[in-house]
Amino acid sequence: MADAPKETPISSVLVESLVIMKIIRHGASTFPTPATGAIVGMDQNGVLEITNTFAFPTGDVANTDGAHQNDASALAAAAPRAKANMVYQNDMIRHLKEVNVDANGVGWYTTAAMGNFINLNFIENQYHYQKDNDQTVALVNDVSRSSQGALNLRAFRLSPAFMTMFKEGKFTTESLQKSKLTFKDILVELPVTVHNSHLLTSYIHQFPGFPTKAEVDMPASVSDILKADVKLPLYPSVDTLDLSIDPFLEKSCDLLLDSIESHYTELNNHQYYQRQMAREQTKITAWQTKRKAENAARAAAKQEPLPEDEWQRLFKIPQEPSRLEALLNAKQVEQYSKQIDGFTANVSAKMFAVRGNLMPE
Amino acid sequence: MAVDQESFLHLSRPLAPVANLQSNIAPLSVNIQPTAILSILDHAVRRDAPATPTTSSRVIGALIGSRSEDGSELSVSSAFAIPHTENEDQVEVDVEYQKNMLTLHLKASPRETLLGWYTTSHELNSFSALIQNFFASPETGTFPHPAVHLTVSTDPGADVQLKAYISAPVAVNAERAAESCMFIQVPHRVSYNDAERSALELISSAKDTESRTAPIPSDVEGLARSIESSIDLLERVSAWIGEILDEEREPNNAIGQYLMSALSLAPKVDAASIEHDFNNHIQDVLMVSYLANSIRTQIDLSQRLATAVLSDEKADKDDTKGGERGERGDRRGGRGGRGGRGGGRGGREQREPKEPREPAE
Repeated sequence: MADAPKETPISSVLVESLVIMKIIRHGASTFPTPATGAIVGMDQNGVLEITNTFAFPTGDVANTDGAHQNDASALAAAAPRAKANMVYQNDMIRHLKEVNVDANGVGWYTTAAMGNFINLNFIENQYHYQKDNDQTVALVNDVSRSSQGALNLRAFRLSPAFMTMFKEGKFTTESLQKSKLTFKDILVELPVTVHNSHLLTSYIHQFPGFPTKAEVDMPASVSDILKADVKLPLYPSVDTLDLSIDPFLEKSCDLLLDSIESHYTELNNHQYYQRQMAREQTKITAWQTKRKAENAARAAAKQEPLPEDEWQRLFKIPQEPSRLEALLNAKQVEQYSKQIDGFTANVSAKMFAVRGNLMPE
Repeated sequence: MAVDQESFLHLSRPLAPVANLQSNIAPLSVNIQPTAILSILDHAVRRDAPATPTTSSRVIGALIGSRSEDGSELSVSSAFAIPHTENEDQVEVDVEYQKNMLTLHLKASPRETLLGWYTTSHELNSFSALIQNFFASPETGTFPHPAVHLTVSTDPGADVQLKAYISAPVAVNAERAAESCMFIQVPHRVSYNDAERSALELISSAKDTESRTAPIPSDVEGLARSIESSIDLLERVSAWIGEILDEEREPNNAIGQYLMSALSLAPKVDAASIEHDFNNHIQDVLMVSYLANSIRTQIDLSQRLATAVLSDEKADKDDTKGGERGERGDRRGGRGGRGGRGGGRGGREQREPKEPREPAE
């Protein structure tokens, strides 16, 4: 890490199954409030191995971190960069070190519902981690989709270009033009693979699977079959075949509308700024022509000309609002629409299967 | 859903001399979540030294979870490791560590309590009794509730087996009471919920690979695999029936009946209504997908226009012009957003637009 002579940038993330289980459990217990926690591990030749994790407390942050009585989700979202939690994290890592757990903080995790995780909190948290240590990632677990079948776990980092921009804190039209940064360059997604220890592999083989015996005893009656309590194998699961369409579409539409709403707010802010700007500009030009005419008159009367740059003191040019929110919003919309695309692909396949099954040939 | 359950005979245990709670003799069952087991297995892998004739290689740790109101059902949700050393004639447990770690854990999940402890071998000896009494004592343990002792066998080449115990005090005199107790086995089961199931599915998918790793599959891949396995199962059943029809195999009435009742669950609906439902739903899905993508494109466009440098104005870096440029971009973006919203309303949403729309440009 810090003492490594040359750091290779992380190219993929290897997550220990323990970490996945812990994150899922934490996320499911706090749903729909997002859950956050820290992850520890080690990077090795560009592969970041995440070997353990622990949750951040959200209860007492409000007491120690100011008088704001925020709601629970805002609290949980801000937890990774709260001061009290830094202490907690260091404490925990020190304790974990004693039982031979990798004692390197390599980032944090958060849970999301329907992919709505791209917001200022997310960026700030990841910035907070990444500014101290470049080899950190944010794991995002989508709880609402995990419970529908397929697990959804993704790893993100902020791109170096965005890091420098965020450091300066300037997201004006001009700076964006100069850096050519678009919303697509904010986050870098890393491929995630899951890894089991040998011991765990042997344990998993004890889970119910397909029968291995070629011949099974024949049941004597129907109640025998019902009583037999055949356990479904965990993999591949039949949960993904579930056909529920409307709730997902409804929620997606809601989220998209919210995004449009915030896009519109951003536009209004900008238009307000433009109008303000134009008004100031007209005033300044008027002042300048007046001063010029005055100076011409004074020159004719052989007097000293008055300074022409006084307008900078007299008029205040309004500050351009930050474009960061708009950028994030665009990224979020992209994320939604990709999610919907994936869902569409899935659901149309299932729909055709159902029709093919029920329709007479 | 349980993956590991056995039938069990409850024996009432002798009461602790001071206990006066009625619930103490009620049957007790332990519900273990996979997260806890994964934690324990991880700890077992990370133990300090392999077994030598004089020292044991087992590791110990604490079990955290919740208790039902009457105390008859325990749910172990997580576990943490405790450093300890053990040789022939003495055992040392880092009590301070246990206390600190417990405080840290409970800070993050205040609803959970200490339930007991685990170790990674099935052996029960006098040290076990000593530690058990520590965990069951009023000051440092779970008193008045019984402390649970979970043993997990982690011998290489053998199945991972779990056993749960509670204890009763037994001693010939008061001096020996601290280091002896009677372990009574109690039933346990391993159960998981829907979200954990999806994680277990992913973890199980890695069980047959050499590297013990598996990538996280996309939704469509997961679906394809589920369909394939379902088709495979169906084919096996129909092959079995085919063999019976060809009189190559003994028929079985029970399975026949079972299959009949399963097949009769298929709904009988007329073709027109299926067609109607199918078309409705598929249109909804495609509509939302289309809208989401057009919204994404519009917002992308708006972002690009807002920061675009138009070629003829490139040389001119005047503030006013820059402002106008931005405004133009915003206007277009705004229209895009509105277009998307209108479409969304037409498609599925009943939401009314909040602001009156001005005619474009």
